[in-house]
Amino acid sequence: MNEIGGAPLFFLEFGDIVIYFTPFTITLFLLALVFTVFVLVSRPERQIDIAFGGDAYYAKEISLSELRFRRFMSIACGLACMGAMVTGDVFDFTLFVSLVGICNVGIVAAVKSRHVQNAAYQYGLVALAGTVPLFAAAAMVAATTGTLSMLELAKDTIQVPLAARALLVLGVMGEGMAPFYAAKAEMFRAPGAPYVIMCSLSSLLIFLRVAEVILLL
Amino acid sequence: MIAELLFATFFGLLLLGIHRKVIARIQRRPGPPVWQEILHMLKFSFKTTWVPATASTTLFVGVVLVAIGIWTAALFVVLSGGSLLVIFAIYMLHKIVEHGFGLSSGSPYGKFGGVRSVISAASEIPLMVSVAAIAIFTKSLMISDIVAYQQSYGPLLFTVPLAAVAMYVVLLSKMPFGPFSIVESKELVSGYKTEHFGVWRAGLEICNGLKTYVLLLTFILVFAGGLPLWTILLLMLLITMSLSFVCALSPMLSPYDSVTIQTLIAGLMVLYVAILGVVS
Repeated sequence: MNEIGGAPLFFLEFGDIVIYFTPFTITLFLLALVFTVFVLVSRPERQIDIAFGGDAYYAKEISLSELRFRRFMSIACGLACMGAMVTGDVFDFTLFVSLVGICNVGIVAAVKSRHVQNAAYQYGLVALAGTVPLFAAAAMVAATTGTLSMLELAKDTIQVPLAARALLVLGVMGEGMAPFYAAKAEMFRAPGAPYVIMCSLSSLLIFLRVAEVILLL
Repeated sequence: MIAELLFATFFGLLLLGIHRKVIARIQRRPGPPVWQEILHMLKFSFKTTWVPATASTTLFVGVVLVAIGIWTAALFVVLSGGSLLVIFAIYMLHKIVEHGFGLSSGSPYGKFGGVRSVISAASEIPLMVSVAAIAIFTKSLMISDIVAYQQSYGPLLFTVPLAAVAMYVVLLSKMPFGPFSIVESKELVSGYKTEHFGVWRAGLEICNGLKTYVLLLTFILVFAGGLPLWTILLLMLLITMSLSFVCALSPMLSPYDSVTIQTLIAGLMVLYVAILGVVS
């Protein structure tokens, strides 16, 4: 079961921290990279909205300062995602995932709408709470096995406690906005694609990666 | 690979045309010709193409290329016997493509289609459960290993029938005019693809053809094993027609009901795999 994401194609070693590319991780990495490039080069959409009390409609504009901040947070989110996709270290993975959570809050909270900010605040609280099981999982793995390297943990000789795996999944559920926070439609109805797309993209990517990590451990 | 890609696109579009025809005949309508989806794709390729003034241009165009790219990659992975986890990833990432289509134009119809796509993410969980159930028996997620396992032990359809049902539900949730097709509901005009016209829509049609072919091929390889090509194509046709019957005879659910039912199915499947894991 060590090659669940396909045969490893490339290893990049930084001391005992190893970044590795398999067909699975490279697919996720490339997707994160492509959408980060979209964020870098594209202008945001102008959301069409109706004017209540008549049949008129108007296009919402995004101010330059808001655009700059949201673009910065989206790029940071993309970079964190790319890191989470290819890292071979459990602690690094949890760090990148928590960074994704912070960036997601930033992307949405910059929108000057009371409803959107309320939704971002509530999601922020969940993301904050999600870091506890996330880092607890990494601590538990280190304490019980003596290593945080996924390649080492994938060996049959090392047994990772079920509780550590469950906590890791719980932490990712807290940090990821989609699908569990997708019901908060205010998040995704906020104007300004492609920035908002980074929220759902990053959430799905970290879910996919944690599925691989759990099967690997 | 180019030949396989072209064949997969056209055969997938033909299956979608047959899907429409079967639904129409069940509902006592003449329906369009079976090659209607192929004609759609060709027609859109030569129609006037534009980008809405309110759109995020790069995303509006780029997401079409991403859609074709990810399903081309999926076809390559299936044909080369690669990891089932990659197919699962691409299936999930298709949600982002739908979200990107919907959000990039600035249109409220597209946006609601995109939002509905994200909230129906519970439909992915049965696929993950199918993957987990298969892994318990085959000890590998490589499609080539899964096919080899079935040559020795018989089709997985009989070993893990509920996992096959879960994946069938996944196929159903991606078929047009089905009970879970809330992203293209008529109150949203065409949902996430409302504003994509001309060559962009042709790209989306290519993506739909490829997606249909890849998902059906994966279902057959994973649950019936390696079969001759003509048998695989025949099975694809039969599965499509069975899906058409379900789509024709069941109403489109409201977004809330759709998500609730998908979540219930997902919960049952998680329980099934937990029991499988304990028993094995």
